[in-house]
Amino acid sequence: MLDVFAQTGAAGFEQFLLLGLVMGSLYALIALGYTMVYGIIELINFAHGDLFMLGGFLAWQLAWTLGVRTLDASSTGAVVGAVALMLVTAPLACAALNVATDRVIYRPLRSAPKLTVIVSAIGVSFVFMNVGSLWLGTSPVKFPDLVPDANLVTAAGVRFTWKDLMVVGVTVPTMVALTLFVKFTPLGKAMRATAQNPTAAKLMGINVDRVIAVTFAIGGSLAGVAAVVNGLYNKSVHYQMGFQNGLYAFTAAVLGGIGNIPGAVLGGLVIGVVGELSKAYLGTKWSEAVVFTILIVILVFRPSGLLGARTREKV
Amino acid sequence: MSAALLEVTDLEAGYGPINVLHKLSLRVDRGEIVAMIGANGAGKTTTLMCLSGVVKARGGKVVFDGRDLVAERVPAHNIVRLGLAQSPEGRKIFSRLTVLENLEMGAFTRADKDGVRADIEKSFVMFPILRERQHQAGGLLSGGQQQMLAIARALMARPKLLLLDEPSLGLAPQIVVQIFDVIKELNRQGMSVLLVEQNARMALKVAHRGYVLETGRITFTDTGETLLNDPRIRAAYLGE
Ligand SMILES: Nc1ncnc2c1ncn2[C@@H]1O[C@H](COP(=O)(O)OP(=O)(O)O)[C@@H](O)[C@H]1O
Ligand SMILES: [Mg+2]
Repeated sequence: MLDVFAQTGAAGFEQFLLLGLVMGSLYALIALGYTMVYGIIELINFAHGDLFMLGGFLAWQLAWTLGVRTLDASSTGAVVGAVALMLVTAPLACAALNVATDRVIYRPLRSAPKLTVIVSAIGVSFVFMNVGSLWLGTSPVKFPDLVPDANLVTAAGVRFTWKDLMVVGVTVPTMVALTLFVKFTPLGKAMRATAQNPTAAKLMGINVDRVIAVTFAIGGSLAGVAAVVNGLYNKSVHYQMGFQNGLYAFTAAVLGGIGNIPGAVLGGLVIGVVGELSKAYLGTKWSEAVVFTILIVILVFRPSGLLGARTREKV
Repeated sequence: MSAALLEVTDLEAGYGPINVLHKLSLRVDRGEIVAMIGANGAGKTTTLMCLSGVVKARGGKVVFDGRDLVAERVPAHNIVRLGLAQSPEGRKIFSRLTVLENLEMGAFTRADKDGVRADIEKSFVMFPILRERQHQAGGLLSGGQQQMLAIARALMARPKLLLLDEPSLGLAPQIVVQIFDVIKELNRQGMSVLLVEQNARMALKVAHRGYVLETGRITFTDTGETLLNDPRIRAAYLGE
């Protein structure tokens, strides 16, 4: 996925753990979009990873159009401005696209058999991927390298760079804000109520379609945030990157207990750490096998995931 | 202001190709308890869900407090705002929200924070066990406690008409008595109630009037007392 250690040479366990946590918080952001949508309409939104990809492309386009393409060639003000603009625009665009997809495609299928909706989500995924390939082609595209790689800590054997700080500094507050929103605001409570019992939610006077739209908006904007952070961190975007990241994030959501918000965060961190540790100690080619083996083992012993309490119909 | 709070005329509703309700008509006057009894599958729940807008009416009129909910196509989430709240069959408690949050959800349509707080206090006076367990998840309550919560939650909307779907279902006899006492007390304070029950005896005892529903059609209607003494009703619904 990324290779910051090419420059650091040998690195210790703590380093891989840290890297795993950084990657994991990115997976967690994407996983939240899967888990929230599943929680509320029991749809595995296969297009979610590709939405993340389109968010990354949009961020790239912004930087490119603004001419902010490298750290050295741009003023600090321009870099900060460009990053800030990306962090506002990509989430808004992803939210709008996610809401529109729900409105146009999933909502008319709300009472259709689940398989119908899932197949249409797979269709949307391909459409997004095609849009991506038409937009920036089928080869990886270099993302503007706008965040310094300079080390921030002096502890022996551990590197923590501006880039790592950016990931943590964006993802952690985002997740905290989401948690507070869902836990304490009336709309957040309405979301939980709708997820638990849509009929009862209607009887309470909750506009369920609106709550679902808000859920798609939040899931989309988290994917947009993740897309910007991922682009800046991994310095590359590709039309198929939604597939791999989406698969990991989806795995994270299932691992944590699909439909469960803290579960998605936990699942993301576990997948990130396991992925990076297995890459470091077993080799890149083994990391996916290890990630999915652990997923299978956990699901055999805890079918509802690490934090999932209920058993609902799964697809 | 007419006496009828709810006037249903020739209501038709169903699922997919099947019609469940056939030209169903009924009325609830202000201040009344009206019972609707009928066998399993007769269409009682469908009727209430239709009134609440969760199941769409296919024909007929539902005039509530002077407005035709069918003709105006009032969506479910606005029906509560007009003053029609329901405690559904099977309680449908939000199992992972706390008791307090469940009550707050009942007041979702309201903006008067102080009034909501006062009404939560009233629920706790009505059902003291809910105060004790206010911070526990709704799913952890016993069946009887969940039924109390479902009724309290519906009342949090400050409805003009309370729809109750099988509030006695699966509950121990002394809990059923407690629930029915609450229904009577609410009515004494002025609440209009449409009560759906398979426990016909209990329902007809508290009701001013009753309707008998058979496969989507009203077959009898009279005062609760008359229905309770009608030999046909006694044979079919009171197990005699
Ligand atoms: N969601 C549904 N989809 C299809 N048929 C339903 C649904 N709910 C109820 N029915 C059917 O409608 C009829 C009336 O059911 P219901 O209104 O639940 O009756 P009651 O509450 O009197 O037991 C039954 O034949 C039942 O099988
Ligand atoms: Mg029923």
